[in-house]
Amino acid sequence: MEIGSFHRLGAKMATQLVHVNISKKYSNVEVLNNIAFNVEENEFLVVVGPTGCGKTTLGNILSGIEKPTSGQVTIRDEVIDPHIHNISYVFQEPSCIPWYTMIQDVTMGLVIRGAAKEEVAKRGKEVIKLVDMVGFEDYYPWQISGGMKQRVAIARAYATNPDFLIMDEPFGHLDAQTRYLMQIEIMRIWEQEKKTVVFITNNIEEAVYLASRIIVLSKLPARMKCEYTIDLPRPRDLTDPQFLRTRAEITKECEIVE
Amino acid sequence: MTEKRKELFKTVGYNILSLIGVGILWTLFSHWQHSPFFPTLTAIWKAFVGLVEHGDVEQIGLGAHIWASLVRIFAGFAAACLLGIPLGLALGLKPKLYNRTRAILEPVRFIPPIAWIPMAIVLLVGFSRYVFLIWLGAFFPIFITTLMSVTRVNPIHVNVAKVFGAPRSYIIWKIVIPSVLPDIATGMRVGLGIAWMCIVAAEMIGGEMMGVGRLILKYAELIRMPEIIVGMLVIGIIGFFMNEVFIIVERWIFRWRSEVSID
Repeated sequence: MEIGSFHRLGAKMATQLVHVNISKKYSNVEVLNNIAFNVEENEFLVVVGPTGCGKTTLGNILSGIEKPTSGQVTIRDEVIDPHIHNISYVFQEPSCIPWYTMIQDVTMGLVIRGAAKEEVAKRGKEVIKLVDMVGFEDYYPWQISGGMKQRVAIARAYATNPDFLIMDEPFGHLDAQTRYLMQIEIMRIWEQEKKTVVFITNNIEEAVYLASRIIVLSKLPARMKCEYTIDLPRPRDLTDPQFLRTRAEITKECEIVE
Repeated sequence: MTEKRKELFKTVGYNILSLIGVGILWTLFSHWQHSPFFPTLTAIWKAFVGLVEHGDVEQIGLGAHIWASLVRIFAGFAAACLLGIPLGLALGLKPKLYNRTRAILEPVRFIPPIAWIPMAIVLLVGFSRYVFLIWLGAFFPIFITTLMSVTRVNPIHVNVAKVFGAPRSYIIWKIVIPSVLPDIATGMRVGLGIAWMCIVAAEMIGGEMMGVGRLILKYAELIRMPEIIVGMLVIGIIGFFMNEVFIIVERWIFRWRSEVSID
């Protein structure tokens, strides 16, 4: 196992918001093996790994839905708990609630946390605008496209102003073109409303396009393979030589047989 | 909209045509047979008018029979819903409890309502006998579909709420129940059908001389086919219209579902 630029983290001394140090086993199958990293405040951390390496399990543990077999995830030195912490999670699977209209869906987090009616309405309007869905407030999920549903899931995650936002291959089900547009959009949204993000994907190009830092996972059981800090200026250009070089370097690193 | 209306007219038209077709076939058959066991449509119509105007052999009008049966159906069906839905939800949410009691619940499902008649006569009196037998028929489809539906709630939808720290009450009322409601409605529709299928059995033992099932039994003793067929048709037609109303209400309530909202 090779760990890349850990020393750079120490030098930066940014606020460490989330500490992760976990392993996970399902009966006999080891899924996550000593996954340990920190997430800085307002950082866009991308976790890259091959299909079926336990990325979704990682997302579920980071969001507190699943418990790790050993170790823990902490936010500001407190074990993660959806009842205490302000977390949002964008699922890989389509997750719009079929009986909620778009506006009900994006504001459900606020309603659950008991926000005042005016605040719910105001923030609902804001995030609908943020994901460019104005005019679709009263639509049900079956009436809109897959890309729009994913935008709603992102708006719902943003609506609560989370301290920690996890996205698990949010664009995995989309076609290449929509995916590209969504990447631009998520970058625009993130630059507009900075959040601490862990973004999970199997797509290296997507990772380099979005990340301030990348962690690469190995095949099952997932181990931390290497880590990169990406300082390319934003907005990034997929055809920029420097972008391509970084992408090639990470791709090569990922292919190293253990 | 006009396209939709056209389609509706077409559907209704074809249904009327096929009804007329069956009517013609029946008429031909009854004329060919020329037997009191296969009355003509005119004989059935005369029996219907007679039952409405003069009542049956005990001067009880058809309206009174229908009303009596409707009240019993609704009482039994309501009892089945009031017990089946909460019990299905509770056991669906607590699968362990269901697994540990299924040896009691499941065998009961296979005992036909008619087999319960002696027990009902011994244990119950009057109106409760009707309710019990109809309840027996309607309860299990409602209970089982509710129970099975809870286990099929999409875990993603539950997790969406959980990540926001939703309390159990929110998950049950806003996620689980809306998700199982369409299946409950289907179970209720099946249950209502079976409730009607139990009406003759129920009215066999209820004691009162009123009810559509009782009407059929009375004329069965007299071997008077026209009146029996009137009773059968009345049950069929009322059941049909109840089902149609149910479907319309269902469509309106579950307009968030793409399967039923085609506009």
